[in-house]
Amino acid sequence: MKIKSFLNATLGISIEVLYALFIMLAAFLICLVLYFNK
Amino acid sequence: MVLKPRLEDIKIIGYYLGKIILGLGLTMLIPIIIGLAFGEINPALDFLIGIEIALIFGLILIKLCFTEKDLNWMQGMIVVSLSWLAAMLLGAIPLYLSGHWKSYLDACFDAMSGFATTGLVLVQDLDHLSYTHNLWRHLIMFIGGQGIVIVALSFFVRGASGALKMYVGEARDEKILPNVIHTSRFIWLVSIVYLILGTLALGAVGVLNGMKPINAFFHGACVFMAAFDTGGFAPQSQNILYYHSLAFEIITIIIMILGAINFKMHYHLWTGNRREIFKNIETKTLFITVVVTFCITAFGLTQIGSYPKAIVLFRKGFYQLISGHTGTGFMTVYARQFINEWNELALVGVICAMGFGGAVCSTTGAIKMLRIGIIFKALKQDLKRIIMPERAIVVQKFHHIKEIFVEDRLARSALLITLAYLVLYGLGAIIGMLFGYPFINSLFESTSAAANVGLSCGITDASMPAALKLTYIFQMWAGRLEFMSVFTLVGFFVAAIKGKR
Repeated sequence: MKIKSFLNATLGISIEVLYALFIMLAAFLICLVLYFNK
Repeated sequence: MVLKPRLEDIKIIGYYLGKIILGLGLTMLIPIIIGLAFGEINPALDFLIGIEIALIFGLILIKLCFTEKDLNWMQGMIVVSLSWLAAMLLGAIPLYLSGHWKSYLDACFDAMSGFATTGLVLVQDLDHLSYTHNLWRHLIMFIGGQGIVIVALSFFVRGASGALKMYVGEARDEKILPNVIHTSRFIWLVSIVYLILGTLALGAVGVLNGMKPINAFFHGACVFMAAFDTGGFAPQSQNILYYHSLAFEIITIIIMILGAINFKMHYHLWTGNRREIFKNIETKTLFITVVVTFCITAFGLTQIGSYPKAIVLFRKGFYQLISGHTGTGFMTVYARQFINEWNELALVGVICAMGFGGAVCSTTGAIKMLRIGIIFKALKQDLKRIIMPERAIVVQKFHHIKEIFVEDRLARSALLITLAYLVLYGLGAIIGMLFGYPFINSLFESTSAAANVGLSCGITDASMPAALKLTYIFQMWAGRLEFMSVFTLVGFFVAAIKGKR
């Protein structure tokens, strides 16, 4: 039971970090688009 | 007819306020321990004086106002609003004693900025501040970010049935677990787990960049506390610019976004409900508003060619934007660069982002994603009503942990709070302009203070007028508590003066 809780929490943390990385990726794409369309 | 408050009301408020002051005083033990560990005896003594004053006031209030009665809603709200003022006054004592603040008002400004997780600073010569005081600056952000009452609920007010009233009064209208004390403890669990992970990551980057290990991990812990609690203080005067590290910036961006996520969302993700992040109105709205506001800012910055390379635009433009949106206030540019190197369009993007904020029941301030989402859903519902035949029944739903119908009551509440924030932003801007600052600078600084962000375009300075310092203190306080507790306190004083017996 404790192992399952630990795994769930670890996966939860990973998803949260991926969400943050996804936002960063979107922002960097905007930077690239503006850079190449100058 | 308004009734005059009874002596019993004052006794109950005094008793619970005393308990919270006692709890706050005890948190000063942490910097004392760190001070002694670093061999900083004099700074540790400043905190000893702070603890003594807090204990004296706390114990006097508990003794004089002892009661076994529970709080009602009005009393709970007043305890919360007074607790934050008491925290500011007490938290400022060791800061002022350090000699790094020009006046007690300046120390109060920084203490309120810390507790309210804003990040605007008036400290002098920050680079030579002791470890002890520097830790306290960041610790008060950590305490304020969780919520002063949450700290008290978790450790000092065990089993109090009035706990819920104080919890709600502190702008946390969502319970994660059925019991409010268990909710408080879960909030601490998430924060402590991330504190360990974040400190390790930031400390490791610091060591790789050549910092001494003890310094790197001290900075890592301080920067984590300021980032996760969306505060914005940093151990050095150059803020995040001091580290000159892309890795450091990326890690802090991740931590800032984690801090802007609803604790209820953390709970669901951590307990296996992983799809919630894709469906929740708050995460979807946050993504959309970040993209939209960053497009505005990036377009503005590209117009004037401030940052010609894509990576520089990301590190300077996006960093300030996400720092503003999450309500953190970390900066990788100097304050004056906002005025000298950014055009008005870029600043408008950041001001909008600051005004929106993060998720409800997170450590951020401002209007918040749930309310923005509800307002847009309500707007969509009204548009559908206009377009569709009169007899058609228009139903609008959104997902926030469960499916919720957009009712008029919800939309009204979201709009009222949004309106209150907009008035607060505008009021601060007008007061700034009365002191001779240009419109865009005043609006930027006012929004930053009221939305508990901490980005500064240069107005916030020890030499600014005292009235403006008081204005920003009020904005930070009212913005952090989301008005209701503040309005209740005002109502209480009005009732005390004008009420009938």
